[in-house]
Amino acid sequence: MHKSEPLNRASMWHWLKGTWVDRSLLLLALIAIAISWQWLQQNLSGTPMVHIYHGKNLLATYPLNTDLPIHFQAQGDIGISEITIDQYGVRISHSSCITQRCVLSGHRHRIGDILACVPNRILVSIQGSQQLPLDAVSE
Amino acid sequence: MHQSPRPSLASLEKKAHWLGLLLLASGLHIFEATIPSFGPWFKLGLANIITIIALATIGARAAASLAIARVVIGAFFIGTMFTPTFIISLIATIAATTTMLLAWRFIPHISLIGVSLLAAIAHMCSQFFVVEQFFIQQTALYYLLPPLLVLSCATGWLNGALATYITAQLNIRSR
Repeated sequence: MHKSEPLNRASMWHWLKGTWVDRSLLLLALIAIAISWQWLQQNLSGTPMVHIYHGKNLLATYPLNTDLPIHFQAQGDIGISEITIDQYGVRISHSSCITQRCVLSGHRHRIGDILACVPNRILVSIQGSQQLPLDAVSE
Repeated sequence: MHQSPRPSLASLEKKAHWLGLLLLASGLHIFEATIPSFGPWFKLGLANIITIIALATIGARAAASLAIARVVIGAFFIGTMFTPTFIISLIATIAATTTMLLAWRFIPHISLIGVSLLAAIAHMCSQFFVVEQFFIQQTALYYLLPPLLVLSCATGWLNGALATYITAQLNIRSR
């Protein structure tokens, strides 16, 4: 039986470096991601507004920066998702879903940020007041 | 009475190898569901390391069946069977595995690292596509995609490197 090599810095590089094809694929992927990211960022401007959707339907729109906390109850497919807008941003404070990942996501406060509860089909999106939806931009 | 011929030892070994990898992949899938997530829809993809090892050691068909079986077994134990999470996970796994098999078959000089990288990207993109098409139906979702794709590239690369290392070690020990 052969004895395996211990993992030192040189052998770590050996395992991590990949082939030239792997490195080219990584480079191409990163370039594509950077271009798409840059393109998406260009469309984010204006006053931050919180849009709350259930599937395709827009349920409510509120300004992100409010003096008094806002609590909105969104009726989803499996129950109520409670959305709270306060001085820290927007968060899903209560949800009827099992996993509670949306609640654990915490606060969001930047334009372009989203919160989603997939089982309840609720999306909370922070958009700029001058922001065009992606469909309108691509048309 | 007609008696079917005994399976060969090599065939039994291959089945045992597949079963062992399936148990390992299912265990990692369940373990990953219990650790805190780095963000919505983002996982480290540890179970995918096992699929890559299966691809390198027992072939494409075995790797594909292993990937699908571990999603079903994992969902059964986590308690998400037939929920949106399960549907998203299953479709994304099928997309990632198909990408993995096609890359391994048709891209010359690609290693397991490149295969893992492409699978991670395919998994993330298909996840967003399924959520956008069937559940949330808002294109605003895609604002979240580029940063998560960067993380996917990193984890895909590291998982591929780990799978390469483990496969090499398994080969050394079985010589």
